[in-house]
Amino acid sequence: MGQFIGTLKGFGVTFSHMFKKVVTEEYPEKRVPLAPRYHGRHILNRHPDGLEKCIGCELCAWACPADAIYVEGADNTDEERYSPGERYASTYQINYARCIFCGLCIEACPTRSLTMSNEYELARDSRQDLIFTKEQLLAPLLSGMEQPPHAMYLGDSEKDYYLSGPTNPGSSAGAEKNPAHRIADRDGKVAQ
Amino acid sequence: MTEVAKKVDTVKLTIDGIEVEAAKGELVIRVAERIGIAIPRFCDHPLLDPAGACRQCLVDIEGQRKPSAACTQTVADGMVVRTQLTSEVAKKAQEGILEFLLINHPLDCPMCDKGGECPLQNQALSNGREESRFHEHKREYTKPVPISSQVLLDRERCVLCQRCTRFSDEIAGDKFIDLMERGADEQIGVFSGRLDVDPAEVVGETGLEGAIDANLLDAPFNSYFSGNTVQICPVGALTGAQYRFRARPFDLVSSPSTCEHCAAGCSMRTDHRRGKVMRRLAGDDPQVNEEWNCDKGRWAFQYATAFDRITEPMVRDPKSGELRKASWPEALNAAAEGLLKARTEGGVGVLTGGRLTVEDAYAYAKFARVVLGTNDIDFRSRPLSQEETDFLTSVAGKFQVTYSDIEAAPDVVLVGLEAEEECPILFLRLRKAANKRGTRVTSIAPFVTRGLEKVAGTLVPTVPGAEATALAESAEVRAALSKPGALLFVGERLAETPGGLSAAARLAAETGARLAWVPRRAGDRGAVEAGCLPTLLPGGRSLVEPAARGEIGAAWGLEVGDLSERPGRDTLQILDAARTGALKGLVVAGVDPHDLPDPAAAEEALEKVGFLVSLELRLSAVSRRADVVLPVAPAVEKSGSYLDWEGRVRPFDAVLRSAAMTDARVLDALARQLGYQLGTADTLAVLKQIGELGETRAPRAAAPTVDAERVAEPGTGEAVLSTWHQLIDLGALQDGDEYLAGTARPPVARISKATAAALGVADGEPLNVSTERGRVTLPAAVVDVMAPGVVWLPTNSPGSTVRRTLGVSSGATVRISAGGTS
Amino acid sequence: MTTPSKEALAKIAPVLTKRWLSPDAWKLSVYERLDGYTGLKKALKAHPDDLIQLIKDSGLRGRGGAGFPTGMKWGFIPQNDGKPHYLVVNADEGEPGTCQDLPLMMADPHSLIEGVIIASYAIRANFAAIYIRGEAIHAARRLRQAVDDARARGYLGRNILGSGFDLDVVVHSGAGAYICGEETALLDSLEGYRGQPRLRPPFPATHGLYNSPTVVNNVETIATVPYIVLGGSAWFRTMGTEKSPGTKIFSVSGRVVQPGQYECGLGVTLRQLIELCGGMKPGHNLRFWTPGGSSTPLLTDEHLDAPLDFEGMMGVGTMLGTAAVQIFSDQDCPVYATYRWIEFYHHESCGKCTPCREGNYWMKGILRRILSGQGTHADLDTLLDACDNLLGRSFCALGDGATSPVTSSIKYFKQDYLDYIEGRKAPMFSPGELVGAH
Repeated sequence: MGQFIGTLKGFGVTFSHMFKKVVTEEYPEKRVPLAPRYHGRHILNRHPDGLEKCIGCELCAWACPADAIYVEGADNTDEERYSPGERYASTYQINYARCIFCGLCIEACPTRSLTMSNEYELARDSRQDLIFTKEQLLAPLLSGMEQPPHAMYLGDSEKDYYLSGPTNPGSSAGAEKNPAHRIADRDGKVAQ
Repeated sequence: MTEVAKKVDTVKLTIDGIEVEAAKGELVIRVAERIGIAIPRFCDHPLLDPAGACRQCLVDIEGQRKPSAACTQTVADGMVVRTQLTSEVAKKAQEGILEFLLINHPLDCPMCDKGGECPLQNQALSNGREESRFHEHKREYTKPVPISSQVLLDRERCVLCQRCTRFSDEIAGDKFIDLMERGADEQIGVFSGRLDVDPAEVVGETGLEGAIDANLLDAPFNSYFSGNTVQICPVGALTGAQYRFRARPFDLVSSPSTCEHCAAGCSMRTDHRRGKVMRRLAGDDPQVNEEWNCDKGRWAFQYATAFDRITEPMVRDPKSGELRKASWPEALNAAAEGLLKARTEGGVGVLTGGRLTVEDAYAYAKFARVVLGTNDIDFRSRPLSQEETDFLTSVAGKFQVTYSDIEAAPDVVLVGLEAEEECPILFLRLRKAANKRGTRVTSIAPFVTRGLEKVAGTLVPTVPGAEATALAESAEVRAALSKPGALLFVGERLAETPGGLSAAARLAAETGARLAWVPRRAGDRGAVEAGCLPTLLPGGRSLVEPAARGEIGAAWGLEVGDLSERPGRDTLQILDAARTGALKGLVVAGVDPHDLPDPAAAEEALEKVGFLVSLELRLSAVSRRADVVLPVAPAVEKSGSYLDWEGRVRPFDAVLRSAAMTDARVLDALARQLGYQLGTADTLAVLKQIGELGETRAPRAAAPTVDAERVAEPGTGEAVLSTWHQLIDLGALQDGDEYLAGTARPPVARISKATAAALGVADGEPLNVSTERGRVTLPAAVVDVMAPGVVWLPTNSPGSTVRRTLGVSSGATVRISAGGTS
Repeated sequence: MTTPSKEALAKIAPVLTKRWLSPDAWKLSVYERLDGYTGLKKALKAHPDDLIQLIKDSGLRGRGGAGFPTGMKWGFIPQNDGKPHYLVVNADEGEPGTCQDLPLMMADPHSLIEGVIIASYAIRANFAAIYIRGEAIHAARRLRQAVDDARARGYLGRNILGSGFDLDVVVHSGAGAYICGEETALLDSLEGYRGQPRLRPPFPATHGLYNSPTVVNNVETIATVPYIVLGGSAWFRTMGTEKSPGTKIFSVSGRVVQPGQYECGLGVTLRQLIELCGGMKPGHNLRFWTPGGSSTPLLTDEHLDAPLDFEGMMGVGTMLGTAAVQIFSDQDCPVYATYRWIEFYHHESCGKCTPCREGNYWMKGILRRILSGQGTHADLDTLLDACDNLLGRSFCALGDGATSPVTSSIKYFKQDYLDYIEGRKAPMFSPGELVGAH
């Protein structure tokens, strides 16, 4: 008998909790806003006309303590221009199997091309997929931006891009929300 | 050297409280360096004359009112020097200069190629101010300006240390760049064809080509040594187009290496990233190349990654008759079977080419003798003669002359050798000797070349083919060589003159001058020493000497009589025999039929030979015709050593790891398939074998004594052809390096004033040079001093592939006519 | 116009300038009539070594600026060394404010040629070059004519006046570069190279023109030689001071009634010179002046009585230089004057060494900014520190000279700088766009 009551008590506790507020994270249904400076996935920003801010200088790769970044530089030409100035990154890769999200690369970036987003869903089921390429890292084209290669629209020389640097943040906002880079949920719904 | 070092006057001085002894006349900066005190500097370079231009090396010297530049200040007895380490004055002076240097220096380090290995950057970081006090506008220039197709100039970055202009003037003798303007507008530039236009501005707008076309740049920086200026530039003002923006110093892996191009034997540094060579720099070897190299050595390396690189063995499919990829066992099996059959049916010849390491050459020599049982082996893929075979047999194993001997020589005579084109570092050393030591250079050649002008040399004007007579009869040459310490350099081209090498050997013996044979390719000398000649066994052992054969037979574990005493065929005879069917098989390493005196005949031989095995890096004229193609490693992917023209061993390690195998290893595997043990599978094993051979006790061969021949007199409308390779030309090892190709000397046909007048051809007008087989048309260049009746063509340059088009070589009589019509 | 005092008039000593007012003094015939070439005749009879000794005894010091004893310079030339010797006359007069060599060559070219012959004879040179400033076409033309006339009369050429001494003189025009007034740059330019100073040692005395022993002297120095030969060293020493004997042409310019060339014994004071010039221009009061061109630190009205000789000027922290006395009044702005001088140095720096090339570029920028009303107090420290980093650090004296106007004007006229910085004075230039540190 006592045993029976004990069992009921147990069910009672369980039952009562069904109406209580849950204390666990309701992920992925509900997402907790992160601190604005949370170190998440990287973004390669663009100038307002769509040209890439990255000049392929590899300083991020040099600063990286985990050796997670690989960059190859190349020449811009008038016919094929990806960034203002002479140099751009023909290859840009970040290996998220190695990255420790320390942010030293961001400090090293001389053009504020590389910034971090709040995106943290970086689990993948193969190592290969953890190496993000330039196409994945580049910020999406916002309105007014055009997919490079194209000519410098903001002025005649790279100076016009850099002298207005502080007032020309380009955009990384929303980059991590670029649907192309998201992994779809099981039911095919892209998380928002 | 065995010579006892001369006692030099020394002085005692104190640097930062450390007492040090120094030779009189030594510079303070060098002495400080020796005791480990680094005085910062930009313009100073140990191999250039002091300039004192950048003023960065200011030090405080007791008794001097003001700081002195350590790079120009010579030591004195009792001198008390205080550097930035112990003197506030020196420290302040250096900081001040650095600040001055930086005010107009752009902050584009992130994109500058020098960033990460930049003396100015390092200095600024270690000794510079944290914050700039400069609020004015920085100087701005159009950037970059190509001053040649390979070298780009960023004038904004330039600190005007003048290392580049001083190098070009003092070392290379190519004063193609100089300071322009003055004061804050001073800049480096190339000379303009028109005085009213600033070439830099035009280049900025239209590019180099446009500027040259508009006759604005009459002299772009097309020096063979321009790459050195990029290397010694202390900032990123001079950069190479090939490497520009390709990598950063900190992600490159540097390895010491040896240049595989010519017989100069330059020490190099090869930088690679992720399995790909990004750039090459001159290494520092005071005995050989000092700190310089030529542009070919620096910038011609992309051939190794060309699209037609062979990475897998191939065999010819019996059904389709086409080459198809095969596994190593299959290919080795096919090669072994074919060679076995050919060996029994008539024999197999071996052509090795001049690009092998000593170890690989040795493997071929041993393979031919042990496995193929033949002396039909020759490394020469160029015009040759029996006389040369005998000559090389006599010089093998003798190493008489070194680079430093040149500086000690009162007189140097060159014959059949255009050092600047064929052995550029030898040329630099000749120039240094001529400029600093007063060494007199005499050249037996048809005309005064730029290279000869730059060593202030004397010409003994000689028609090709008459070199032997000149050597025998020129009193000038004899007098020069009779001086103690005099040197006689013979180029490989002297083989084209009957009696030339004999005359050189005789003259050297008579005058006591030391003789050096200078081939054109890195592997040539090594091939001679390794025994890749029909009359030579490894180690300078003459085949006809029983004792020599005995030594080799014992070392290789052969039965008496296994080594054939019958001298083999040379390259031309091998190809002849292959064509006629006397030889049933050929094993060919890196040989381009177009280098041979008669490319058409060579190609025919390759077509007709019964069985052809090609060990190749890239798909070539040989491998396309081969029955079995076995891929081998390029120099960058293997270890080994070259012998330079001195005979000095120039070892190198593999820069890149790869699965590619050396020739020696492939031959070892092939021999194994045929049931023989070569023991050449790895480089160290080969070195051990070579070492164990030791010095020969057998008598050496004597030099040949071939008489000179009379040179045919050219008739009307005819001339005697003179030809040699230009440094930068159509060579297979320069494939894919367009930037480098742009700096080549434009191909021209050189004729004397008299010839030009007789033909009615003016300078720059087209000139036809023809034989039965074909015609070459090049702009004529009229030369002031030139032997009569001679026309010179570059051997293998765009528009002038002499052997392929004309089918002849130096000394041949060719027809010449004006204009581009036939 | 005031009348000069007796003391001032007593300082006037026309030696070099004594023929200048004679009509057609530049003609050979006139020159000969006025004792011309008599010194030469006397000199050719003497032994060259005696001539060098004579110049040493006379105490003649170089008039080009540094004041190096001329006799000693000649004595440095190694004799019997089997190399040709050269005499080069530095007539590349370019120092701002300096104007005595060109008038001398215009008015009395033969005195220079006579000096050249005597000096060449003394140092055993058979070739002499006169390197004349490129812009001075008129003087070069006159000098060339004089050389031709002298050659026609047998003063130049082979076996001069039967003495067995040969000499040829070439008048070479420069291309208008201030740096070529520096003796080694002058030699490079003369050889056909880019005019940039050479590394010393070796000095021109042993490795000069074409790597041979060479004496490089100023026009005035050489032109003085015939008078010493004629008058003797004792006579020469009666003029000037003990350590700076002889006379010197002072070229006075600026705010005086009668600017011009005044030849006085060394040791004359500015007060006396101004009196000789007829006083300051009406309405002008002396504010600052240069004793010897812009490369010598400025002086003020405190220094009116400092003796204008090599030692006297050292004593007040400046240099006699070329004795180019530029006189500025209270209507002149020392900051603007300094800016113009630095603009000159910026333009004329040869570019070889860092401190001079970049230092002048920077100082010019700062000065212009101060004059535009955009200066800061820190700029004055920066200017002084830049001068400190330039003075004594440059390859040749051009850079050193450039610091003189800056340091001395800040020393004496800091208030003027502050007036611009603090907005009390109207800007001279419209403000430019500021870039900020970069």
